[in-house]
Order: sequence, then structure tokens, then C-alpha cells
Amino acid sequence: MSAAAVVFAFASGLAIVFALLMVLLKTPVKSVLALVVTFFGLAILSVQLAAPFIAAIQIIVYAGAILVLFLFVIMLLNLNEEAREKDARPVQKALGLVTVVALGGVLLGATLRAPEAPVTRLASGPRVPVADEIPVLGRLLFSDYLFAFEAMSVLLLVAAVGALILSKRRMD
Amino acid sequence: MSAELFHAVASAGMIALAWTILLGLYLLIVVWAERRIAGLIQDRPGPNRVGPYGLFQTLADVPKMFLKEDVTPLYVDRLLHTVAPAIILIPALTTIAIVPLGAPVTIAGRTIPLVVADVNIGVLYLFALTSVSVYGLIIGAWASNNKYSLLGGLRASAQIISYELSMGIAAIAVFVSAGSLRPVAVVEWQGAHVWNCVGQVIGCVIFIVSAFAETNRVPFDLPEAESELVGGYHTEFSAFKFGMFFMSEYANMFVAAAMIVTLYFGGWTLPFVTFTGNFGALLSLGVFLAKVFAWVFVFIWVRWTLPRFRYDQLMALGWKVLLPLSVLNLLAVAWWVASGKGGA
Repeated sequence: MSAAAVVFAFASGLAIVFALLMVLLKTPVKSVLALVVTFFGLAILSVQLAAPFIAAIQIIVYAGAILVLFLFVIMLLNLNEEAREKDARPVQKALGLVTVVALGGVLLGATLRAPEAPVTRLASGPRVPVADEIPVLGRLLFSDYLFAFEAMSVLLLVAAVGALILSKRRMD
Repeated sequence: MSAELFHAVASAGMIALAWTILLGLYLLIVVWAERRIAGLIQDRPGPNRVGPYGLFQTLADVPKMFLKEDVTPLYVDRLLHTVAPAIILIPALTTIAIVPLGAPVTIAGRTIPLVVADVNIGVLYLFALTSVSVYGLIIGAWASNNKYSLLGGLRASAQIISYELSMGIAAIAVFVSAGSLRPVAVVEWQGAHVWNCVGQVIGCVIFIVSAFAETNRVPFDLPEAESELVGGYHTEFSAFKFGMFFMSEYANMFVAAAMIVTLYFGGWTLPFVTFTGNFGALLSLGVFLAKVFAWVFVFIWVRWTLPRFRYDQLMALGWKVLLPLSVLNLLAVAWWVASGKGGA
């Protein structure tokens, strides 16, 4: 096995195992911690795809900020065991199963139709020179994708204002 | 295992070993320095019995920590309680890899830069690791299953998020003026132009204040405020587990000081001096270390001089003062660079 394949196997295995743990663990704090490890696995994969900027942003924004906030809220509410619902919710479970099968099918189809196995592509594929990855990204964001970029920031603002209104209403 | 992989693992191991030895020496000196300076400020001798000027006090304390009974309370989460002290050390020990320590050395015709990894994303790597450094603390706090620990963990998570923002935005202004995210480029830009602590005074002050908050040092040590929270997040840790929390505080202090020096105080450069040749490189390494130790001294000095913030004051300072100021600073620097006056 080449070094790239070893790294790929390690990182993707890490991400998959801890993503499963995130869902299966019963303590919310542990679920969040498992998700942190998953994000690290994904970040390693980004580095391997010659996108270190995406990897760094992923760690800073998701692992470093959003999940710390998750932990903050969980610890503030002092949730030690996930509150189990009494009713089994059969409709939701069935819908979840359908979604899982559909998504899995899409993923499997895409993987099977890919021209080569992903591991060999990573090992032998041409590495994009990353010297000016960040200026290129910046220019694209503020030219071709300006509208999407601004629309997304408005969306985030709306979400923040909405959260504020909801919490204020409850306090009154 | 391929040769390429073996080489990567072997060199990583060598670097790790070198840093472990250096870190040990640094801890030896800085823990002693903290206690002696505390004594000086409080008009008492401080530890002065073990070795000349008490210099070997830490050497005597470390075996003590190893040999003490490691008490694991009954109601803790055993797994997380055990790994938390290890997790807290990882970011502190890996961040230093991208800090440029000195001018390049030439050995047998090969030019070797005095930096472990000069990566393009540069300082982002550093921010990524410092932003996750809080996890060891939160995990330890939560796993302890103790209300004081939990409060410490809560405070730590809120504090880190609040100050990370202004710290990051202050640093962005530095990259905008240097035109690169690479710490080596930032240092070289400062050597060619002017140190950022002169050119970006406001950003520099914001960054330093935030660095104090990120390292949980006084006046921002609310996660372990011993007068209210017993010991905060490390209340339930004893023996060497406590020792690792203790070590991480000093390792983080070194990282913070190295970041301040690299981004705002010219790294290994000095104004009006050019370092050439191998001897020059050695001198520049000395300059860098002298600057870092000067900042570590400031960290210690502040700790024994200032009182602790109140929690609402801490939040107000972070969100209502530092964050708007850092955005204004970024806008001013961006305007300055865009108007063509900057050297990017």
C-alpha cells in the first residue's frame, strides 16, 4: 500500500467509525466529541485532496466553534442521558429508513460509476498546485459567486434574528 | 510500508523527540521563573532551596507528581477522565511546528529554513489547533461529574469562542498587509517594512488581550477561578493528570507568546540588522527566543499584578469592545492596502 492509501484508509475509517458512534452513543456530550473526531477525519481527507484551506476552515469553524457551542448548550442544560421518547414514532422511523436507503443508493451508484477507484486516484492523480489557492478562492467568491455568497450571509443573519425572536418570546 | 511513509514517520518522530526535550527544558525554566517572579512581586523569596537560586525546584516537583497517588473519583466518566489530560497537550505541542524560529541555515550547500513546516495555509493551521485546544479542558470538566468542574468547562467554552473571533479578525489584518498566510512571509514582510506592533497598534493590543483569554491566564482565568470554583476544570484531577493540565498551561503560554512575536513583533528579525550566514541564523534564533521569553515574562508579570475579571465584564469586553474594534481595524488596514499604500 502506498502512503496515500494508508492515510486515506485511516482518515476515512476514522470518520466512518466516529460518525457511527455519534449516532449510537447515548450521552449527548460523547456524541459531540465523536463528531469532532469525524471532522478531523474529513479534514485529513481534504488535505489529501490538495485543499488544505478547506481542511483548516473546517477545523476552525466546525470543530473549533460550532461544536464548542453545542457542548456549551449541552452542559448548560446539563443533559446527561438523551431523553427517550415513550412512543416509538413508527411513521418517522419508516421515513428515516426510506431516506437512508435512497441516500445510500445514490452514494453507491455514484461510487460504482466513478471511472477509477478513489484510492488509486488519490495516489496517482495530478496534484493541483496549491500555492495560490486562497487568492483564487477569494476572487471566485467575490466575482462569479458573489450572489450566492451574499445570499448565504443574509440567510445566516435571518437565522440569527429568528433565534433571537424565538428566545425573547419565551421569556415574556 | 513504503519508504516514503517510513521517512515521513521517522522524521515526524525525530521532530517530536526534539520538541519534547526542548519543552522539558522550557518548562523547567518557566515554572521556576513564574514562582520566583511571583515571590519578587509579593516581596517574598519564592523557592530558593533546591539548587542555585532554587533552579532545580521543578526537577524535584516532577517526580513528586509522578509518585503521588492518582485518585480517580468514583463517579467520573473513566475513559474521558483519563484521556482529557492527554488531549489538552496535543494542540499545545503541535502548533509550534509552523512558527519560523530564525533565518535559514546553510549546511553542506543545502539551505534549511528554521521552521518545521512552511505550509501555505500557515497561520490558519495554528488557529485551527488553538481553536480545538479547549476540548481537553471541556472534556476534563465534563468527565469529572462535579458541578464546579462543569461550571469551569462552561466558562472556558464561552470564553474561548468569544475571544477567538476578535483574535482571528485582528490576525486577518496582518495577513492582508503582508499579502500571505505564511508565517515566514509575515516575518519577512515585517523585516522589510515595519513591525506590525507599530503599523497596527490596535490589532496588536486586541491580539494580545485575546491571547491572554485563550490561554486562560489571569485576568481571564475564570475557568479555574479558585476563589469560586475550587479548581475549576481540574478540581478532580490529581498526580500526573493534574501535572499534564499544569504543563499545558505553560506550553500554551509559549505558543501564544510565539504567535504574538511572529505576527506583531517581527519574529526573528531586528530593525536595522540583517542576519547572514549560519552564525547570523543562530543569532536570529536567539533573538526570537529572547522575544518569546520577554512575552512569557509579561504573561507572568500580569498574572501576579492584576485582579480577575468578573464574568459579565469578560463577555462585555470580548463582544462589545474587542470585536467591533477588530472589525474597524481590519477595514482600516484593508482600505490602506487597497489604496496602494501597503507593500503587498
